[in-house]
Order: sequence, then structure tokens, then C-alpha cells
Amino acid sequence: MKNNRFVERSITGALSFFKDAIFADEEALKKGFLQARDARLKMLMVFVLILAALFSKSIVFIAGIYAFCVILALASSINIIFFLKRTWFFIPLFSLCIALPALFDIFSPGEKFLSFKVFFVPLSITKQGLSSAGIFFARVLTSVSLCVLLSVTTRHYVLLKALRVFRAPQVFVMTLGMCCRYVYLFIEIIQNTYMAIKSRAGGVFGIKNSQGVVAWNIAALWQRSYVMHNRVYEAMLSRGYSGEPKVIEEFDFTYKDWFWLGTAILILGLSLWQNHYLN
Amino acid sequence: MAKPLFELKDVYFSYMGKFPALCGVNLTIEEGAKVCVIGANGTGKSTILNMLDGLIFAGSGSMKAFDRNITSGVMSEPGFSRVFRKSVGFVFQNPDAQLFCPSVKEDIMFGPLQLGVQLDKIKKGVDIIANRLKINNLLNRQPHQLSIGEKKKVSIACVMAVEPDVFLLDEPTAGLDPATTRDIIDILLEENMAGKTIVTATHDMHIVGEISDIAHVLGRNKKIIRSAVPDEILLDCEFLKDNNLVHVHRHMHDGRIHAHPHLHTEHH
Ligand SMILES: Nc1ncnc2c1ncn2[C@@H]1O[C@H](COP(=O)(O)OP(=O)(O)O)[C@@H](O)[C@H]1O
Ligand SMILES: [Mg+2]
Repeated sequence: MKNNRFVERSITGALSFFKDAIFADEEALKKGFLQARDARLKMLMVFVLILAALFSKSIVFIAGIYAFCVILALASSINIIFFLKRTWFFIPLFSLCIALPALFDIFSPGEKFLSFKVFFVPLSITKQGLSSAGIFFARVLTSVSLCVLLSVTTRHYVLLKALRVFRAPQVFVMTLGMCCRYVYLFIEIIQNTYMAIKSRAGGVFGIKNSQGVVAWNIAALWQRSYVMHNRVYEAMLSRGYSGEPKVIEEFDFTYKDWFWLGTAILILGLSLWQNHYLN
Repeated sequence: MAKPLFELKDVYFSYMGKFPALCGVNLTIEEGAKVCVIGANGTGKSTILNMLDGLIFAGSGSMKAFDRNITSGVMSEPGFSRVFRKSVGFVFQNPDAQLFCPSVKEDIMFGPLQLGVQLDKIKKGVDIIANRLKINNLLNRQPHQLSIGEKKKVSIACVMAVEPDVFLLDEPTAGLDPATTRDIIDILLEENMAGKTIVTATHDMHIVGEISDIAHVLGRNKKIIRSAVPDEILLDCEFLKDNNLVHVHRHMHDGRIHAHPHLHTEHH
């Protein structure tokens, strides 16, 4: 029973975290530096900075890009705790797990840095291993931070529209947008159904029972998504849709946007040049 | 006598061939009329409106609209379907299906954009409609994060943006507060005064008298069992009770429980 509660709490917790993390747009509505930038050029700028971080082989340089990213976050009046929490605690932790084996001499032979034994297996951390794992971690952290920065400072649908810079077809962008909306809707349906079941069952139902409920829920969800799909299509037809959706695209960029894109390109250039120079 | 816009003759329809939804419906709707389709849950109101909007087609029997026999073939003629979509606007029962754009503003603009209206004209239209429905403050919000009532208003705005000649409304006031209901009815009445045809499906007896000159009642047998002026139907308590349109209301009177049918025509 206790176990069940734990699962229950983590699932509902994960759902609302997911909802907040992906669909909240209060940060995007604040007035700040990045919020004022044109979405298309901002997207390009982030893209260029990520490339710079990926190409650079110097951890100091990548740290510099990361610092730039944090400064941008500050200039965009983003709640910095919220920003760091989101980037530091979640995604890079996974990458640390991936990068961890590379530390050891089994995977990265080289100069021994630190040696110890785990269950009688001699292991040593090598300098080469340490530096490649460090760079890998720094790259992931920087790219993830840049992406998070882009997504929290831009409203979702604007971001989707900005995908058009990369020549994504209109139908694709629109479908993607609808997917996002229906993911949101289905999270709500799950939460509401869950609440409804709980209110009817008084929150007391055994593991066996609740597994049944979950299975039934998934089936019902498929059914509902199918019905919903049909309804949405009918609603589109009813309003004159006839194959290719027509939407308007309005973006306004100023010389400032171009200036910042230029800065990003300069950083990328610097990263490439430094690579060349170091080799 | 006005010109008939829609004519349903002995229409049968069933979902996936096994769930009957309409069993021999005859219905004529004239240009400029205000008409209600009333009936309990599951009597086929939504099905009739879907058919009037050319989204589903009669299994047997026939439907005529704008002097054409409506079949899936006719609706896929680009010329006719464009004219039809421009002329008929449908407010769905479920606003979540109706609103699929990323922002309220884009949702309102979707219809006229598809129909090729000019951009500056569309933008002006959005402002006027938003003012009329008092949804100016919602324009930049995401439709799926609104309350039910707000979603309903936005759905109506989406349809008004197309400036159709016929409004089909599926339970437009279900779940709305009295003031919002009032606003919506007033807007529909204004549209009707301007010559638009209004067809409403509802089981909210409060609004039937106002938004229709004639009410068609769907019975449990999924046919129209009575068509009359709303007042006549609203006063026929036995008939309403038989068709699940009123409920017996119990309350305390002088310390005794007392039951009587509760007509949904007035508040008490
Ligand atoms: N998608 C569907 N699949 C199967 N049966 C349906 C579907 N939609 C409606 N029905 C059935 O058709 C009948 C009429 O439904 P509907 O037109 O939605 O009624 P109303 O709008 O008056 O509540 C009901 O008996 C219902 O069960
Ligand atoms: Mg219905």
C-alpha cells in the first residue's frame, strides 16, 4: 500500500512537472532581453552558439559560452534558480552517467591520475579520461542550457512558427503544434480521470485494482484520441480547410537582432579558429 | 413563404452501421429562420447538425441544401464546398475539437484565411468580433488553457469571423454562467435580425423561447416527434416530462417534502 502511494505521488508529480516545464509561459511573457528578440534570429543565434560549443575542444572556451548563456538568462529577467534547477539537476545528470565510464582506464587508457579498487578490480582515472569527460559534460550542459533558454523565453507557438526558417513544411509545423496541444490536453485528461477515479474510490484501491484502472485508462485514451482526431479534422473542414493550411507569418526583426546573431557567429568563428590553432 | 435552405427527407443515419442515430427525420429550415432542435441526451441533435454542416451524409433518405442534393461527392467539388463552407458556420459541442490553433487570435483568423479573405480585412474583423464577445483580453492566450465558457465564446468568435449566412450551434450555452449566456443569446438575436439563419441544438429550456420561432423535438425513437412554436411546447408539461426535458423537483414546503415538475423556463 505504501509502495502504491509512492508510485502514485511520483506519477502525478512527474505529470505536473512535465506540464509546468513544457507548457508554462510566464517567463516568455516577461519583458527581458531575449523575449524582445525576433524568434527566428534568436533560434539561429542559439543554434550557432550550440555549434560553437560542440566544435570547441577547450573547456575554458565552452565555460565562456556557458557564462554568456547565464548572463543572457539574467538579462532576460529569468528566475535564475528556476533556470539552473531545470538545467543542472535533470538532463546533465544523465550525461554524467554516460560520460562516467570514459573516466576510467578501461575506456580511456593513458596517464594515471587516481587509482583505487572496487571489488578487487583495480581501476584508475586517467587524465585523458577526465578531460574528455569534462568537455563532454560541459558541451551537454551548455547546449541544454541554451535550448532551455530559447524555450523559456519564447512562446511555444512562436517557436514552432520559427521552425519555418529551417524550411520545415507548413503542414509539418502545424501538425507539430497540434501534437503539443493534444499532449497537454491528454495530460489534463489523465489528471482529471485520475482525480475522478480517486474521488469515486475514495483513494483506496489495491495494487491489483489500480493496475486494471491504468490499463483501462490507456485503452480509453487511445479511443478518445481517435475520436478527437476525427472531430478536429471535421472542425477544420467546417471552417473551410481544403488540404494545405494557410497561416500568416509575422516576424519583426530590428538591427539589434542582427547584431546579436553576428555576435554568435563571431563566437562560432572564434571556436573554429581556436580549434585550428590548437591542433 | 421564405425559401427553404435545408430539407431533410426521411433521413436515416447510423454510426459505423450499427449505432442508429437518426431514424426517419423530416426537417425543413427556411432562410432567415430561428430554429431549435431540442431533445434529451443521445436523441441525435449533434448528428443532425453534423449532417446540416455537410460533415456526415444521410445513410438513406436525402438532404438538400442550397438547392443541391448533398452527398460526399458534391461536398468534394472545390467550388461548391467553398461556397458552402463560407455560408454555413458550425459551433461544435466540444470546443476542444473546434480550437486547434496555437493562439486564440490565430484560431479566429483560421476560417477567413482558408477562405482567402484579405489579411487587413481579417485583422479588422478580429478586433470587431473580440469587442462584441468581450474576449479582447484572451487574444494572445492559448485556447486549450481557457475555461469552458471562454472556450465556447472563442468558438463562436471563430465562426462569426467567417461571416456565414447560417449559424449551426450545438449546445452553445451548456455550462455557461447566466450573464455569458445572455451575451451569447443577444449576439445570436442580432445576427438573426441581420437576416442570418440560426439553428440551435439544446436541452436548455431557458433559452428555447428566445432563440427560436419554431422548435423541433427529437424523441427517444430518434425522429422528430413534434414541431411547434416554443411556447406551446414549453407549456405542455406532460409532453416535456415524457421526453426527459423537465425533471421532477423536490423541496421542502412547511416542513414536508413536496414534489412537482420543474419547468426549465424560469428561475425560482
Ligand atoms: N461517434 C459515435 N459513434 C457511435 N455512436 C455515436 C457516436 N456519436 C453519437 N453516437 C450515438 O448516436 C446517438 C445520437 O447521438 P448525438 O447526436 O450525439 O445525440 P445528442 O447530441 O442529442 O446528445 C446516440 O445514441 C449516440 O450513442
Ligand atoms: Mg450533442
